[in-house]
Amino acid sequence: MKAEPELLEEAAADLFEDAPCGYVLTRPDGTIVKVNRTFESWTGYSRGQLVAARRFQDMLAPGGRIYYETHFAPLLHMQGAVREIAIELVRADGSRLPALVNATLGRDEAGRPRVVRATVFDATDRRRYEDELLRARRREEETADALQRGLLAGTLPTAPGLELEVAYRPGVSGLAVGGDWYDAFWLREGEAVGLVVGDVAGRGIGAAATMGQLRSALRALASTGLAPARLLAALDGYVRRHGVGPATTLVYAELELAPPRLRFACAGHPPPLLAIPGQAPFFAWEGRTAPLDFHLDARPLAEASQALTPGSTVVLYSDGLVERRFEPLDAGLERLRETVAAHDHASAAQLLDAIVAAHHNPDHADDVCLLVARITARSPAPPSRRPSGDPGRSETVVPLRRAGGS
Amino acid sequence: MSVISRNNVVQHGPPDGQPMVLAHGFGCDQNMWRYVWPAFADRYRIVLFDHVGAGGADPGAWDPQRYASLDGYADDVLEICRELELRDAVFVGHSVSAMIGALAAAAEPERFARLVLIGPSPRYVDDDGYVGGFSREDIEGLLESLESNYLGWSSAMAPVIMGNPDRPELADELTNSFCRADPRIAAQFARVTFLSDNRDDLARVRTPSLVLQCSSDAIAPEAVGEYVHRELPDSRFVRLQATGHCPNLSAPEETIAAMQAFLDS
Repeated sequence: MKAEPELLEEAAADLFEDAPCGYVLTRPDGTIVKVNRTFESWTGYSRGQLVAARRFQDMLAPGGRIYYETHFAPLLHMQGAVREIAIELVRADGSRLPALVNATLGRDEAGRPRVVRATVFDATDRRRYEDELLRARRREEETADALQRGLLAGTLPTAPGLELEVAYRPGVSGLAVGGDWYDAFWLREGEAVGLVVGDVAGRGIGAAATMGQLRSALRALASTGLAPARLLAALDGYVRRHGVGPATTLVYAELELAPPRLRFACAGHPPPLLAIPGQAPFFAWEGRTAPLDFHLDARPLAEASQALTPGSTVVLYSDGLVERRFEPLDAGLERLRETVAAHDHASAAQLLDAIVAAHHNPDHADDVCLLVARITARSPAPPSRRPSGDPGRSETVVPLRRAGGS
Repeated sequence: MSVISRNNVVQHGPPDGQPMVLAHGFGCDQNMWRYVWPAFADRYRIVLFDHVGAGGADPGAWDPQRYASLDGYADDVLEICRELELRDAVFVGHSVSAMIGALAAAAEPERFARLVLIGPSPRYVDDDGYVGGFSREDIEGLLESLESNYLGWSSAMAPVIMGNPDRPELADELTNSFCRADPRIAAQFARVTFLSDNRDDLARVRTPSLVLQCSSDAIAPEAVGEYVHRELPDSRFVRLQATGHCPNLSAPEETIAAMQAFLDS
């Protein structure tokens, strides 16, 4: 048996050379000073080809080299260490080795950078798995987005005497779309239209699917002739019975065209904004109850009604339009009111554009859903239908993504 | 949201000194200047800031349309200058910020007395006889590198970074925090940085400029630095011994000396 110190020395050398990770020592500029056997065998380069001949960054693909210069090297200098940086080493035969690198910067007594010590870990399997995760996440985002857009696609009622415009932009600040929706449909063709803007709690595919269910349920209930307060109560019952979409907020309004009148109920949702010629635009704070499935007790019935005149405009929206971080909600509401006040003779389309522009919130934290209905001066004539098709593409009829979602 | 908090503007030195605005490049934040600005703080009014999307800038100010080209970033620089009422400033731009400064100086020349351009490149991608050093595929490779390096950015950490811009110490606890960025923003900034073509803008820059060129800079090769020097109407070219792309970090003394010589001339 060998003497203990000798064994230790041999073991230390052995651990360096054949460690289950690559060791690379470089000068601060990346020039390789020393590598171990593991690094040689992983890269296919002998130490003779590496030491003093190559820089560490030379062993990366060009894209990775940019990353090295813009992130790896600066971080190393600022923090003295980097951790878990994913790189791809280009082997001697041109193939790639996905690796994770940890590195520390050694300084001399004067504090000048002297040496970089790097450990390189083979991350082939891990990278494959991460790629799968990234792909899965992208797929989920795309699916939820497509699902929501598909659910929002449909036809918007149109008739002389009524202008109807909607805008929808999915929030992107999180990792998935949210569950806002708008809807507009004839209650009595040519006479009264049902208007909805709602907001399902949560994000992603689940929120989009819930939104689809509630939207259908609401349409079905509306077709039975329920007035707004009773409709919301019935929808509340649906949410409770089926456990779908608790804490959803929405505003539901019946807009009669002649004589123009709005009947509405609001479940925990931001209030409708009404602009009636000759009056300053105002928020309709009546007809309010809690969000769906919020109380265990029976839901109180509340709705309100407002006579309109030709030229009146109704604006429904989701909180994503008026909410901004670092700003009280009142400020957002006031901004909306001012925008509408400044466009009192605008068409629904012009007003929608103006609101979207004024409320362009680069934060993108939340969905933005906006519906503008305007009673024009002309008297209503027989209704027609127009296809709105895919809400993501139709520009003239359903100007979605006006806010420029990404 | 004021420009000052939007861009996390930090000032040092005498308020009545000649302004020196230092702009960081793609990748990290104003910490890139930590070894450089103290050398000038005795007589210059030092203005540091983070580009929107980087460091301590307000994440809520990010706007994919505004920042779809370098002009959006140049507008930010000009807004900072206006807000602080800066005139005859020395603008020091590293990497992509060299071109951002050039654009700002071309737009409002009266605000800038000198430009110091560290590792500038008006065009990173090779193009019909022009050698920028990279191909489009290389830039795709960079985007892949960014994607596999979220640098501490995950669903768990994102709210900490996004939700507490007023508590930077939280973010400072994160690994690699000086280069943290929302991956979506980083990807767009990378595209804008490395796919822009600002060669034609160089001739519009009348401000006396210094081109600081590193040795063996993989991002901005010497031929590119010489191109910038040639195209700028009034520039001086200095080749540093420092290697790499960040002499402000790897060789601050040499960088400071070159800047000083230029500013004193």
